[in-house]
Amino acid sequence: MVLAQLGGSISRALAQMSNATVIDEKVLNDCLNEISRALLQSDVQFKMVRDMQTNIKRIVNLEALAAGTNKRRIMQQAVFTELCNMLDPGKPSFTPKKGKPSVVMFVGLQGSGKTTTCTKYAYYHQRKGFKPALVCADTFRAGAFDQLKQNATKAKIPFYGSYMESDPVKIAVEGVERFKKENCDLIIVDTSGRHKQEAALFEEMRQVSEATKPDLVIFVMDSSIGQAAFDQAQAFKQSVSVGAVIITKMDGHAKGGGALSAVAATKSPVIFIGTGEHIDEFEVFDVKPFLLQKLSEGSFTLRLMY
Amino acid sequence: VFQSIAGGNTVIGKSDLQPTLKALKDRLMTKKVAEEIAEKLCESVAASLEGKKLGSFTSISSTVQAAMEEAILRILTPGRSIDILRDVYAAKERERPYVIVFVGVNGVGKSTNLAKVAYWLLQHDLSVTLAACDTFRSGAVEQLRTHARRLQIPIFEKGYERDPAVVAKQAIQEATRTKSDVVLVDTAGRMQDNEPLMRALSKLINVNSPDLVVFVGEALVGNDAVDQLTQFNQKLADLSAVPAARLIDGILLSKFDTVDDKVGAALSMVYVSGAPIMFVGCGQSYTDLKKLNVKSIVNTLLK
Ligand SMILES: Nc1nc2c(ncn2[C@@H]2O[C@H](COP(=O)(O)OP(=O)(O)OP(=O)(O)O)[C@@H](O)[C@H]2O)c(=O)[nH]1
Ligand SMILES: Nc1nc2c(ncn2[C@@H]2O[C@H](COP(=O)(O)OP(=O)(O)OP(=O)(O)O)[C@@H](O)[C@H]2O)c(=O)[nH]1
Ligand SMILES: [Mg+2]
Ligand SMILES: [Mg+2]
Repeated sequence: MVLAQLGGSISRALAQMSNATVIDEKVLNDCLNEISRALLQSDVQFKMVRDMQTNIKRIVNLEALAAGTNKRRIMQQAVFTELCNMLDPGKPSFTPKKGKPSVVMFVGLQGSGKTTTCTKYAYYHQRKGFKPALVCADTFRAGAFDQLKQNATKAKIPFYGSYMESDPVKIAVEGVERFKKENCDLIIVDTSGRHKQEAALFEEMRQVSEATKPDLVIFVMDSSIGQAAFDQAQAFKQSVSVGAVIITKMDGHAKGGGALSAVAATKSPVIFIGTGEHIDEFEVFDVKPFLLQKLSEGSFTLRLMY
Repeated sequence: VFQSIAGGNTVIGKSDLQPTLKALKDRLMTKKVAEEIAEKLCESVAASLEGKKLGSFTSISSTVQAAMEEAILRILTPGRSIDILRDVYAAKERERPYVIVFVGVNGVGKSTNLAKVAYWLLQHDLSVTLAACDTFRSGAVEQLRTHARRLQIPIFEKGYERDPAVVAKQAIQEATRTKSDVVLVDTAGRMQDNEPLMRALSKLINVNSPDLVVFVGEALVGNDAVDQLTQFNQKLADLSAVPAARLIDGILLSKFDTVDDKVGAALSMVYVSGAPIMFVGCGQSYTDLKKLNVKSIVNTLLK
């Protein structure tokens, strides 16, 4: 993904910088340009790249004033911090507790992987001892209920949905009530894919959210998404209280920078990543180790940091 | 400044072009044109202008802008065009169905847009059979069945976990028997670097030699658009068991309604594959299928 290549570019840029005998404004700018280029090639939003560049420059220049500090090291640290900040707003998301009923609602753009990820999420918690259940509040997409039903059946997770009812709010409410009665402690509501250009779709999402009062709204995002990601993610955030993000299709070749920007737009942490179509291809996401590992694939070493 | 406006005999040098091109490249990238393609476009514009005389009363920036517009138009206007309806009639003459296979990565809109294409063909009084060859993803068969029911057209399906190449073969045989004009083959989504799945796709295509292989790519995609298309073509070529492998013939650009002015994926996809954009998907109902409006893409990109 983006970060591996990015790691490489950053290392190269930094190496060039340390080859220079005098580190002046120009050397610093060259280095930053190189890093920005890598970020842009990975779909990180244009404006964010510029902001990041400004931030780094400020940090580096300020700290450089302090005597005897290593600019290269400061650069590395600044880049790392900026990336971390993009992926982690610093406040942890809601986490479901065993035995205490929680409702988790999945939202996102069309085809981003919501339905697949719902089951993965349920399955993950089932193995941890939860009693999950799946509600299909997607009454729009052809075959949506069959998809959820087949996934749930394979994973032996109870599900609720309807072939006849066309009102997603009604189904969501019925499903949530039913599973609360059945003492399920993790009730997962899958919704239709939607996009900000269609206001009616966003209104529907708002209504489902209002009626089911989810403890957590998860925004599911495809890692191959480009710069449109930012605006879309922001629009979702403004309509419902997105509290966490899951990035899917990380098994692909996508550089993931669009997703990176969009995460920043939601001001919510990434909690899991999807790495394949199968139910167990799902990983907990932890920003620092993830960043370190990815960056080091591109030989960006942070030994200087610790 | 005066010189650059009144020009006349000024010869354009590299350094004159740099600032304008840099700005233009940034603009293209904010519209989501892949970085390497924005770069290449700028290089080619620079090459075409360097050493040329600047016309009277034109500025560098408008000259560059015009050259860029022309370059983009050239890319988006396909050298080879495909007239599906004409080709369908030609196949009809030979008493066999015209076969279209839809391919692409996961969730881009293959099945939905396949249904829209079916609707479009029905509008032209052609008969259509759907072939449910995504035998992997949960609900894929039911999804296609729902479309077949709504459009009141036949569907050929064999459930899940079958070899999709075989299902396609049988579907084409069935359509030949029932004298269906067109067979639309739905396939499972797959990542471009998933070798076993790409091999299976190559098999499906080579075994059935469809008339048209359509790559469905979403307008939402970023720089990955380039990689998706390159890899699909590359893998179809490399993993083919037959010498003359079939590659992607045309592109269906989906979810165009979700990207506002960030329309660059269109340019990136055509640029790397040389395949024309045959349809644009712009919504979730059957009528949301359009032809590419080249002029409006150019305007959006350079606006
Ligand atoms: N390779 C890969 N494919 C995935 C992953 N997650 C989901 N998919 C695939 O992406 C496609 C779309 O997934 P869905 O779960 O149907 O997406 P959705 O968001 O529910 O779609 P809509 O309900 O139509 O909006 C399917 O082919 C999934 O198998 C992943 O992590 N890796
Ligand atoms: N807004 C919008 N949504 C679209 C468009 N085309 C498809 N979709 C939606 O995208 C989602 C995925 O569409 P599918 O047709 O199932 O995608 P697919 O490529 O067949 O997915 P897999 O078979 O799982 O790989 C669905 O929710 C569709 O309604 C489009 O042009 N615009
Ligand atoms: Mg779904
Ligand atoms: Mg499909």
